[in-house]
Amino acid sequence: MDGFQQDILTYYDHFVIPFTVGAAVLFAVLAYKYCRWFVKLPPADRSLTLRGLFSRKVFGAIGEVVSESLLHRRIFRVNPLLGYMHMSLAFGWFLLIAVGWVEASMHLTEGYAPLHAHVFYKYFVPEPTGAAGERVLSNLMDLLLLFVLSGVALAWFKRMRSRALGMKRTTKHVVGDRIALTALWFVFPVRFLAESAEAGLKGIPSFLTGNLGEAMVGAFGSQFVSGFSTVAWWTYSIVLAVFFIALPFSRYMHIFTEIPFIFLRRFGLRSGEQKTTYDNFQIEACSRCGICIDPCQLQADGGLNDVQSVYFLRDRRYHKLSRRVTDNCLMCGRCEAKCPVGIELTALRLNSREKFSALPADDRYAYLGGVDRSSGSGRVGYFAGCMTMLTPRILSSMEKIFEAAEQSVWWADRDGGICCGRPLKLSGEAAAARRMMEHNRALFAKQEITTLVTSCPICLKVFREDYDLAGIEVLHHSQYILRLINEGRLEVVRQDTAFAYHDPCELGRGCGIYEEPRDVIRKAGSIVEADGNREDAVCCGASLANLEIGEEVQQQIAAAAAVRYRDTGASVLVTSCPLCKKSIGRAFGKTADIAEVIAGSLGG
Amino acid sequence: MSGKVIVIGGGVAGMQAAATLLGMGHRPVILEKNTRIGGKLNDWHRLFPSLTPATEVLEQLKSRLDGVEVLTGTEVQAVGSGEVTTTDGRRLEADAVIIASGFEVFPAELKEEYGYTLYDNVYTTVDIERMFNEGRVCLANGAAPRSIAFLHCVGSRDEKVSQRHCSRVCCITGVKQAMEMKGLFPDAEVYNFYMDIRMFGPGYEEMYREAQEKYNIHFIRGRISEAGETQDRRVQIKAEDTLIGRPLKMTVDMLVLIVGMQAARSNVPFAGCEGIRLRPSGFLEPADSFCSNVCSGTPGVFYAGTATAPKNVGESINEGTAAAVKAAGYIESGKGDAGR
Amino acid sequence: MPVDRSINWGYSISRPRAIDMDANDHDAASQLLRSLPELQACIACGCCVATCTAGNLTPFNFRKVHTLVRRGEYKGAYDELNKCMLCGKCRLCCPRGINTRGVVMAIKRILGEY
Repeated sequence: MDGFQQDILTYYDHFVIPFTVGAAVLFAVLAYKYCRWFVKLPPADRSLTLRGLFSRKVFGAIGEVVSESLLHRRIFRVNPLLGYMHMSLAFGWFLLIAVGWVEASMHLTEGYAPLHAHVFYKYFVPEPTGAAGERVLSNLMDLLLLFVLSGVALAWFKRMRSRALGMKRTTKHVVGDRIALTALWFVFPVRFLAESAEAGLKGIPSFLTGNLGEAMVGAFGSQFVSGFSTVAWWTYSIVLAVFFIALPFSRYMHIFTEIPFIFLRRFGLRSGEQKTTYDNFQIEACSRCGICIDPCQLQADGGLNDVQSVYFLRDRRYHKLSRRVTDNCLMCGRCEAKCPVGIELTALRLNSREKFSALPADDRYAYLGGVDRSSGSGRVGYFAGCMTMLTPRILSSMEKIFEAAEQSVWWADRDGGICCGRPLKLSGEAAAARRMMEHNRALFAKQEITTLVTSCPICLKVFREDYDLAGIEVLHHSQYILRLINEGRLEVVRQDTAFAYHDPCELGRGCGIYEEPRDVIRKAGSIVEADGNREDAVCCGASLANLEIGEEVQQQIAAAAAVRYRDTGASVLVTSCPLCKKSIGRAFGKTADIAEVIAGSLGG
Repeated sequence: MSGKVIVIGGGVAGMQAAATLLGMGHRPVILEKNTRIGGKLNDWHRLFPSLTPATEVLEQLKSRLDGVEVLTGTEVQAVGSGEVTTTDGRRLEADAVIIASGFEVFPAELKEEYGYTLYDNVYTTVDIERMFNEGRVCLANGAAPRSIAFLHCVGSRDEKVSQRHCSRVCCITGVKQAMEMKGLFPDAEVYNFYMDIRMFGPGYEEMYREAQEKYNIHFIRGRISEAGETQDRRVQIKAEDTLIGRPLKMTVDMLVLIVGMQAARSNVPFAGCEGIRLRPSGFLEPADSFCSNVCSGTPGVFYAGTATAPKNVGESINEGTAAAVKAAGYIESGKGDAGR
Repeated sequence: MPVDRSINWGYSISRPRAIDMDANDHDAASQLLRSLPELQACIACGCCVATCTAGNLTPFNFRKVHTLVRRGEYKGAYDELNKCMLCGKCRLCCPRGINTRGVVMAIKRILGEY
């Protein structure tokens, strides 16, 4: 026992106390949060996690932790300079710790070296022996420190001039963030000064701290530098402590939280209709990098600056979420596609809406009982969707196409039908929406259809995800038309027309259908791609998911979208969603659904 | 002191402005983008509320243009004080300019839910005028309609097609055509679906009442939301009878969309010129709505007719006179403030 | 489903009596109009009702409900609006550009406890 006490005191100085306390608080809070979230996970999610831990998914997760939490590859892809900033801080710091550990383990040979002895290695290390390995390591540590410092410099620069890093806007911060951020800014510069002074005093040679320390001693004398180093070590310890204590309450929580989040996601956990503690892993994995701000059309075209995902996650995390923020989202998915952490932004936004609605009364939608306005019969069913009723050209084009392919059709809702339920779900009333879905499902099940075609991507998404349509293949009309053409059942005459194509959010990012509509259009003409398409396509502005914005903002978004397509020089804009057609059409001019293009190019 | 005045647009306002200037001893030049002058009046059959044949008014206006230089096929790109640039790059100088470039008819196919150019028997009021002029008013299959629905406010007062303004003349046009159709097909039932009926001109309200009392035209307060086509090419319409508060469905032989006036696209390049501004509706905005309602922000550039807002034929002709007088005053005062 | 054989006046919450603007409580109505001022621009064209997916299947008149609410007549409005499927067709029709779905949700939110 005496020997141990002796060891502790070998590597002790009062200034290590702030650091030790800070680190203890940090790990205690982290452990408390993660354990609590894990215990409160729904049983199914818990068992998924336990099963995942003993599967090969672990290796994938480890790989992703390295590439994302440390190297930040996805940020690199969006913005190389920003990626470098994150990588230098995360990976650089990690290497400093790892290499520092090796260095300390090699040289702090006098008994047991506690954590702080590694952190304040230069202070506790005895005079240098002059071994070659020692020199290499101290130079390597200098190089790593320089690497991190370059990231800090970029961070400073980003705060002052975000545009220089390719971001039009950067995030607004909360108090915890400011404290942690300020501390973080000082951690490495102070460490640099403390280590330099110490290196100068002890004569540890290295290209950065060694040379600077030597110069300091030469210029100010060793007595002054000795006093300076004491102040610097104290400051370093305090700054670290402040950062550690503020970390769990600030955006820097993402540094650690991204790790369990990556594992859980790899194990198959997802955020759903109901809030769970898995949401917390996602929410606190957000670094508030602000990459989601620029793609948001509400910001770019609608002038709304406080509803973007980063603010939504921040508000939800600190329990300050307002309905205005929750409801003011197009759920177009543009930000989610760009999120370097891969947070399910739309799902989280949607399950935040849940609390604004009560459970549906038992008799709600009782009037739907037995509603069947369908007509015709056939193996193929066609569900036009509510919006298609207001774009009858789509309807009549589909009729022509079915006729040309000699396909008999069961028309589900031509004379009025039941809404698919997705609009209600998007408004947060998932339970009530299920009532409607049940009615439609029963209606479909009564028929002998094997294929269900819909012209509305909103319906398509909900049919695919929330309807349990065993034995019925659900297709968007673009997929169905392509199939008819490929099977030789439709003869399409190609013309010289150049079309621009607008990817509807629900079809593209929502259902991953990008190529089929393009293949269909290419049968009738050529495509000129707009700036911003596929995963990066803009929303038409009329999204049913946004419960807040008025006509004016919708029109601004549509007008800005129309400009992108006008810039292609194409005279006709093609889309494959009735809502998009209506919305962008009024700003663009000649806008046609994909079905109209084909119905107008039928040969034979 | 005699001056040269360029009048952009050879419609009713432009013709009247030119005729007035000619009478005052000036030298007007009409620039008309089409191949003939007369503007929209060429397309109309009879004018409300007196049912005067449009040709009568047109001939009267034309007869006073002897000696006026008319450049047809000439479209204007830019306007400045004392000069006009055409789209083919010609620069024409003048002592004053009157913009009387008119309006465009709202393209009804933008309201896709009504099925114009999709269904056989959906027409616009412009089509009806044309059919009257051609002397053959009938359904697509040549038969006489037995039921006709008119829909007011198509492309007017509609945020959804970015046409917020009221086009004013469509209410009375709908009433006039309903009466004409009833006159032509006495056995047909005629229904006018409206949101508000705005009878702003002299004799209009009387005409509306006549349509109701003498012509037995049914006025239903409700805007049609959408139309469908039946197997036999009739038109199925949906509306709410808002005075009763219940949805209403009916099938008619013919649906006539009473289309509004929208700002001419030619206003857009004008708006890039000094002192010329557009209203949010896209029509030109005069210096003020009162004493300078035919003046632009640039001295020597004046407005007449529907370039600034929807107006009827009589009002447009009056503005032709007003703009001509202002232009003449501007020239005679040595291009001073008198033109204001 | 029981068949209603009485005369259908089209709307179950409109009662045959005068709207007593003096006696009615207008707080909820003011709250509604504060959150959606554009609702005041409704010109009662009836397009929303004509196109209504729910109104196509059951007596439900959105225009009447929100008009009654604006007059301080709240009784039954919440349950009436629960017939709405929020499909959004009405918003696509409305010539005044009213966020009709927003209106449905705002009324339900405000009158939820009523």
